[in-house]
Amino acid sequence: MKKLLIILISLSPFLAHAQGFQVNLQGQKQQAMGGTGTGMALDEASVFYNPGAVSHLEKNGVSLGISPTIAHSTFELSNTQTQNRTKSPVSTPFTGYAVFGKQDSKLKLGLGVYTPFGSTIKWEDGWAGRFQLTKLQLFSVFIQPTVSYKISDKVGIGAGFVYGIGKIDLSRDLPIIDANGNYGSARLTGNASGVGFNAGIYLKPSEKISIGITYRSQVNMKINKGNAEFKVPPSASSNFPNGSFTSSLPLPQVISIGVGLKPIEKLLITADVNFIGWSAYKELAFDYDKNTSALQDTRSERNYKNTYAFRLGGQYSVKENFRIRTGIAYQLTPVQDGYVTPEVPDANKISYTAGLGYKFADKLTVDVSFTFENFAKRTDTNKESNFSGTYKTYIAIPGISLTYNF
Amino acid sequence: MKKIFFRTLYITACISIAIACKPKLETPSIDKGSLDLTTYVAIGNSITAGYADNALYRQGQENSYAKLLAEQFQLAGAGEFRIPYVSATSPGIGAPPKFSAHLALSYVTDCNNVTSLAPKPVAATGDFGVFASVYAAQGPFNNFGVPGAKSFHVPYPRYGDPSNTGKYNPFFARMTSNANGSMLTEALSRNPTFFSLFIGNNDVLLYALAGAASDSITQTTLFDASIDGILTALTATGAKGVVGNIPDITTLPHFTTVPYNGLVLTRQGQVDSLNAGYAPLGITFQLGQNPFIIADASAPGGRRKILSTEYVLLSVPQDSLKCYKMGSGIPIPNKYVLTASEISLIKTATDNYNAKLKSAALSHDLAFVDANAFLKSALTGLTFDGIKVNTVFVSGGAFSLDGVHLTPLGNALLANEFIRSINAKYSSTIPLVDVTKYHGVIFP
Repeated sequence: MKKLLIILISLSPFLAHAQGFQVNLQGQKQQAMGGTGTGMALDEASVFYNPGAVSHLEKNGVSLGISPTIAHSTFELSNTQTQNRTKSPVSTPFTGYAVFGKQDSKLKLGLGVYTPFGSTIKWEDGWAGRFQLTKLQLFSVFIQPTVSYKISDKVGIGAGFVYGIGKIDLSRDLPIIDANGNYGSARLTGNASGVGFNAGIYLKPSEKISIGITYRSQVNMKINKGNAEFKVPPSASSNFPNGSFTSSLPLPQVISIGVGLKPIEKLLITADVNFIGWSAYKELAFDYDKNTSALQDTRSERNYKNTYAFRLGGQYSVKENFRIRTGIAYQLTPVQDGYVTPEVPDANKISYTAGLGYKFADKLTVDVSFTFENFAKRTDTNKESNFSGTYKTYIAIPGISLTYNF
Repeated sequence: MKKIFFRTLYITACISIAIACKPKLETPSIDKGSLDLTTYVAIGNSITAGYADNALYRQGQENSYAKLLAEQFQLAGAGEFRIPYVSATSPGIGAPPKFSAHLALSYVTDCNNVTSLAPKPVAATGDFGVFASVYAAQGPFNNFGVPGAKSFHVPYPRYGDPSNTGKYNPFFARMTSNANGSMLTEALSRNPTFFSLFIGNNDVLLYALAGAASDSITQTTLFDASIDGILTALTATGAKGVVGNIPDITTLPHFTTVPYNGLVLTRQGQVDSLNAGYAPLGITFQLGQNPFIIADASAPGGRRKILSTEYVLLSVPQDSLKCYKMGSGIPIPNKYVLTASEISLIKTATDNYNAKLKSAALSHDLAFVDANAFLKSALTGLTFDGIKVNTVFVSGGAFSLDGVHLTPLGNALLANEFIRSINAKYSSTIPLVDVTKYHGVIFP
């Protein structure tokens, strides 16, 4: 067993995926296997990973999971002695998947309710980047009704409609100070929504190999009538009128190809490659309904680039009801040099994952996973703010899910 | 098997909490390079003193670029930097002849009964108690920033001797160890191993601030000899240092805030009556913006329209402009105006001084700060760590309410220019100041 793990890990160096503010926390089994899942009909999480594979699931089931995300970033302002840390609360992306179909029916229906992106980054009080960002809370839920059809034992297709709802809550300080030494602040809050789809093909040429190809469309999350709230010294308040704003945030399209191999009955090896269309995120713009000389609409270039993620995972059935999993992923950052911001102190990163699954009875399965993401240390000078420094981030994500099959 | 499962689950939970460890970044090492920072002295004028908002007061002193420099030097092991502090509760005191208290942005009601935000002294008069000697209580000092000091004042003996009537400087008198001393001898008595010299501004600025109606521009020969003498004396014992040049007045809000064409006529009746009155001089007016009328002895009738290249100073009484016909029926007096020929004299002097400061820094093998170039680059706006800064009055962030001296933020930015020059010259890695910790103008 030990040997096997070593082999899996040593195979891994070519793996990757890009994240930005996206979280890829879907399905505890898949998370434990480096975030692979496109080329397998493993469980209800196929609603997300590959709607085409849903029709090849053997049983109906409902699965609920949660992945508390503990993120820590440290920042060092270039050429100074200033170091700052994040004090982010634990984010709790969750997933819920359900798959139904009549016994032996070629048609299966699925429903996914999950968090495709959602995180809170909060920097410590008085930090050097306070005039760019003090806190950003993004939260979203995608609701995805899905239809999957088993064309044959070797081919399945499926598609889901995605309706996304989201929330944004962004705060930063304004460099206007009052006599008590308090800086002004701006807080933008709003609800967003958008639509898209998720489609996939699942191929199973033999018992030993399965392949999946999926396309998740871009979802433009639009914020209309967000609430812009300013706290400034009273004498400057007419320059910063509270009002509304509009903005939008694209969630990129993702094309994935995945494969699952079963060299022996007890062992499953999986690999995924994701292409992520982050180039859609060109700018972050805020249009305020009330403009003044001090409060102009902002248009901040982001210029993300398209990226890839490479993932490798493995599952070993120790016993019929006990499985262990591990994986690794390498995710390339979409954020180009000159565009790193305190909102998303992104960098290339390696994720190490592991997990267990235990079937308590015929119907109830508990899966746990643990992911540790190590971001490369990144030094950058932002082109807009001239904010120059070095970021380093770790994220630890334990997760658990309960699955009931029937 | 169940046992193993729960045990692993428990371990995973523990690891995930423990691994929520915070990423560490190594703080860059601080290297003195070839610097000896045992004793740093700062020599200069009001800017070095931390004078701001038209007065010397505590908050300004605590944020002078010289103090910020000293704090960064201390990170590299430098010694104490003593400042002749004013009491924290004092409203401060400004330079003669007004000796006013420091300004604060306040609600001011003008002659038209319109209330708006404007700089206003925090007390009816400045605190003359500031001029009492603080040497015994706080000295000896390291910050020899003396408001009003010109280049030739630095080596001038009895500059702090109150019996030297008309020639002594009360801001120096309060800090000197003895009445016979000069700024230079006092500084040398500290045996400095490192110094900053940021002097020469007043050699032309006091003339400019007076609208060229009083004071005078220091002769270049006197300026050059003063700088040479100061640097020769300071470097005689091997001290290293940094020299800053002086800003062009076009970068200072005091000269650029009041628009030349700020005479706004809204009624045809005003236009007609002014046209009638000025017909003999051939001066005409129109609805909307018009150039102000200024006093000029050489013009017909002793008055003329101001040119777009000329300046009305921030010191001009606003109520006189708004309600009492100054700038239209009554010409703006000479002391509030810089004419093209005066500006030309100022520019020539500034260029000459800056040429000397640079060559003197070079010949004494010292670091040199092009403060003038830095301020010029700020004219169009610069962004530091997300803070936008420019040279606009009040909103620009860098200049205090007198339009000449710096805010804490302006001082922090200037300190970083000094540090960059010092690091480049002496192969040191003195850390920069985190400018986000320093603020601009305070709003009520």
